[in-house]
Amino acid sequence: MRPAKGSTQPLIYSMPDPAAPTWGRKIMRQIYQQRYLFLMVLPFVVWVIIFKYIPIWGWTMAFQDYKPHLSFAEQTWVGWKYFVELFHDRQFYLVLRNTIAMSLLSLLCGYTFPIMFAILLNEIGRRYFRQIIQTISYLPHFVSWVVVAGIFTKLLAIGGPVNQLLLALGLTDKPILFMAKGEYFWGIVTIADLWKELGWNSIIFLAAIMGIDGNLYEAAQMDGAGRFRQIWHITLPGIRPVVFIMLIMSIGNLINIGFEKQFLLQNNMVKDYSEVLDLYALTYGIRVARYAYGTAVGIFKSAVSIVLLFLANFIIRRFNDDRAVL
Amino acid sequence: MQRRRAFLFHLVCVVLLVGLGVGSVLGAQKPLVLKMFSYDINPNYTGFEDPIGREITKRTGIKLDIEYPVGDPEERITLMIASGEYPDLIFHKGAGKFVDAGAFIDLTPYIEKYGDNIKKLYGPYLKRMRYSLEDPSIYYLGCFGVDSEIWDVSGFQLQHAVVKELGYPPMRTLKDFENAIKAYMEKYPTIDGRPTIGLSLLADDWRFLITVTNPAVAATGGPDDGQWYIDPETYEAIYHIRRPEEKEYFRWLNHMNDIGLLDPESFVQKYDQYKAKIAQGRVLALTDQRWQFEEAERALRQAGKFERTYGSYPIVLDERFKRADLWDPGYSASWGIGISVTSKHKEAAFKFLDWMASDEAQVLVNWGIEGVNYQVVNGKRVIPPEEFARRTNDPNYIRETGVGLYVYPFPQRGDGQLDPTGNPYTPTTKDYIKQRYSAIEKEVLAAYGAEMWIDLFPQKSEFPLKPWGAAWQIPTPMIEDLTIPLQRCDDLCKKRIPEIVLAKPADFDRLWDSFQQELIDLGIRKAEAIFTQLVKDRIKLWND
Amino acid sequence: MRRGKTKERLFQVFLYGVMVLIGVITLYPFLNVLAISFNDALDTVKGGIYLWPRVFTWNNYREVFTYPNLVIGFNMSLLRTITGTVLGLISTAMVAYVISCREFIARRLVSALFILTMYVSGGLIPEFMLVRKLGLMNNFWVYILPGLISGWNVFVIRAYMDTLPESLTESAKLDGANELTIFFRIIFPLCKPILATIALFIAVGQWNSWFDTYIYCSGNRALTTLQYEMMRILQDVTSATTSSIYGMNEYNAPRTSPESIQAAITIVVTLPILFVYPFLQKYFVKGLTLGALKS
Repeated sequence: MRPAKGSTQPLIYSMPDPAAPTWGRKIMRQIYQQRYLFLMVLPFVVWVIIFKYIPIWGWTMAFQDYKPHLSFAEQTWVGWKYFVELFHDRQFYLVLRNTIAMSLLSLLCGYTFPIMFAILLNEIGRRYFRQIIQTISYLPHFVSWVVVAGIFTKLLAIGGPVNQLLLALGLTDKPILFMAKGEYFWGIVTIADLWKELGWNSIIFLAAIMGIDGNLYEAAQMDGAGRFRQIWHITLPGIRPVVFIMLIMSIGNLINIGFEKQFLLQNNMVKDYSEVLDLYALTYGIRVARYAYGTAVGIFKSAVSIVLLFLANFIIRRFNDDRAVL
Repeated sequence: MQRRRAFLFHLVCVVLLVGLGVGSVLGAQKPLVLKMFSYDINPNYTGFEDPIGREITKRTGIKLDIEYPVGDPEERITLMIASGEYPDLIFHKGAGKFVDAGAFIDLTPYIEKYGDNIKKLYGPYLKRMRYSLEDPSIYYLGCFGVDSEIWDVSGFQLQHAVVKELGYPPMRTLKDFENAIKAYMEKYPTIDGRPTIGLSLLADDWRFLITVTNPAVAATGGPDDGQWYIDPETYEAIYHIRRPEEKEYFRWLNHMNDIGLLDPESFVQKYDQYKAKIAQGRVLALTDQRWQFEEAERALRQAGKFERTYGSYPIVLDERFKRADLWDPGYSASWGIGISVTSKHKEAAFKFLDWMASDEAQVLVNWGIEGVNYQVVNGKRVIPPEEFARRTNDPNYIRETGVGLYVYPFPQRGDGQLDPTGNPYTPTTKDYIKQRYSAIEKEVLAAYGAEMWIDLFPQKSEFPLKPWGAAWQIPTPMIEDLTIPLQRCDDLCKKRIPEIVLAKPADFDRLWDSFQQELIDLGIRKAEAIFTQLVKDRIKLWND
Repeated sequence: MRRGKTKERLFQVFLYGVMVLIGVITLYPFLNVLAISFNDALDTVKGGIYLWPRVFTWNNYREVFTYPNLVIGFNMSLLRTITGTVLGLISTAMVAYVISCREFIARRLVSALFILTMYVSGGLIPEFMLVRKLGLMNNFWVYILPGLISGWNVFVIRAYMDTLPESLTESAKLDGANELTIFFRIIFPLCKPILATIALFIAVGQWNSWFDTYIYCSGNRALTTLQYEMMRILQDVTSATTSSIYGMNEYNAPRTSPESIQAAITIVVTLPILFVYPFLQKYFVKGLTLGALKS
């Protein structure tokens, strides 16, 4: 359906050369031929090194008793002490479990529902109706988590609408304290997140749908393909590259989920289910002025992220030819 | 296409130029501008341009440029220290990080040389400002009123309607408290059509300490020492939740839950839900501090439901205990204002602080400008009725006049202290507090034979000297065996106490014991030993 | 044929039904905030405000607008949003284009450099020190440079570019066009929908950020931003209601409450940025590739 790429294409820049140049000269020539590409990307490579890689020296803090007022040479080195402490802390494994659980749930819902929503939006014929719904659906993204958490706790309170509904329907004879049940917490966070970000997350998929070649739909219609077959055979494959790349990157981000929503939705009754890695790092790192510990958690997260990224990249490469990140 | 691209480039260029031009700075000004960092926000600060600020500039030639943190102040402080660039004056709430970094100058020589007003204001407490036994420098000046009288107390709270309905029964013990709540609730299962709530707690984040754990100390006769209880004889510090007396307080909470007098949402609700219930007038009792439910009470007053506002009672676990709400910790100076090592105007900054401690300045910042904000009639400072009305009712009063704006966090005299002319330094008086009582409040107080709520409590004079001040004000250095177990235990309390309170009474003892064991496993004993040493060091330092 | 029509009908009913439902559900939090922002602060304390204010007032907004610097903040927010979006978008797209060129020999290296930025970070202190060393403190460019390109955006754009038929660029190359020309002439216009989306992401990020103002630019009032000013107002109001703990302002009745101010602030800062999306929606047009192929 799509024009084949990559392997079947001749290499445009490798021209036959009777003088059979050495490997080095070949490289030089390639660089010269691609000089515009190098020119275009060079400033940004410099940028990325300065702004993103130079600050990585901060990782050395994890191996020091870091004191912000001392110079690098004056710090006391402690080796792997903080990593050892981290891996011996039972609390750490608990927050890791919560982090991964909530992250997987949000990965699951954060892709399926927005994609479905974007596809459905795309099926709406009336442009203004579509635009209105689209605009409305992204509004909650701008409402802060404090407010959304407040709305949610009130909805699920003892006298709140959800309990009243359940009572009226006879599904329960006593109001349920939803927010006090740890086993509900992951679900509540996921639903709250979905509510807040559904429209916002769908924007990118909608953009991807817009990029699909209109010819394909026309051809399919001529072949007599119905709406669902068009969605299945054209729309979904059309947005696959974007979805896959985002998925790979999200899997890499599996343990970087922040803590704001969990922190604001939680209460003392559900802490065993609500505490996440980022809050843990803050509480036992920065709050008690242990920069080293906070940094150690950060390095651990980076390591896990990179492993996950390569894993996801590898898996997707296996069954999706060359559309991986790297 | 071409045109649009051209436009795009133009836009970029314009944007670049505008961006570059933005670096304009205000021109130089005549008064000496001192930069200051303040840990606490002061919402009424408008750049020292209010009448009092201008008056201070006029009299001292100094203008303060105060930076208030947005977000977490600790984060700002960390960056300040990492960069090594400090403002001239720093107001902190825990000097540890600054002192470790060598950010403060020792004020002792300055006090000797220029500090007459400061010496007079702090008197014997100047000794309490020395940093530690090893380093007796004075790095900062305390920010609380010196020898302030306490006229307001929170205790445990009951709606006026409850005590009135029941004919003002004696209110001494948790049993009295419970019986009153129970009797009223049976009589009135709903209030204004909504279910009545007996006792509601608030456990939203740090507020947990205020309504859940601090009341356990208070009801068992302990003073407010934060997470600690200090034995007044031996000065041994104990993590207060480990006291056997407090187990009985939580047994009572557990019992309250069992008989349905405790709000089932106590450990789940958010602050706004809690306030909403109180503002609806259907929560009979609280174990809170007044500043936390003040807003809800204001809503009740506005709605004319004065009988639903709260009185403060000295409730204790049983007759053995005596509420220590009024036990005066003396002057504690762990929060305060200091001068940085990088300041280019150390002397001027110090002289400014000393001036702020003078009688002249204290009258100016507390009372305002004579003839404008107050008058002197027969040698007495009086606030004219109109001004007084504005002062109490106009929310913009401080911002517009500057009166009261520069009292905290600078050196200040306490409420009730008199200046050489016999007038109080601050306009806050007993009469002012009484003036604010509502009719029903006065009726209830009269029925209990009191004029003010503090009259119901054991008086300041009944308690001995508290030689360690307030334990929560003892600066805790970064000792891993202290701070980490403490943090872990605080977190554990937040998890376990709700479980224990909401458990079946039969399970209470077992759960409590295993909770106590967990605290020990987290290393609390070692932390207690370290803190005991800190308390003892402090006592030694203060009484040298 | 008939059956197909009924099926289509049913689908339409389902579609519109679901959309209206989603619209209602997602509109609720916003309406709730709007209602609270117009409701009397003391009345809000009692709870029970849903879609409509009970005691109408302008006071919450009046309180917000009594603060100075809002106009400066608004202008600065606008400036950084426009500058940041324009520069960020061009830079991101350029990097994305280069690494989408399969023959580019440093492709994997550059890709790796950018993708890793998403997962590694030195932390607040080193970043702060870097900005200081570069002389960007109290400088407008601190709003633009450190966050110029996000790895995420680069790869999303690149994924989109991968779906474009390669034949488009090949013919241009055979005509002797260099990559810079190809990028601006062919790729940029073809990527309109995704670029509009990324522009939206960058713009919203720029508009909403306040932390950089706080830590890098709080020394220069001319560089203040709207969000930063709003954060300050919120903190002021919050502290005004708790300040009696320290014996400050004990006479003073707060003008309003944190909840009400939060609501008013949400509306004030959200309204301007809301207009960006409908504006960008015009780039969400189907069949772009078709048009480009013809030209």
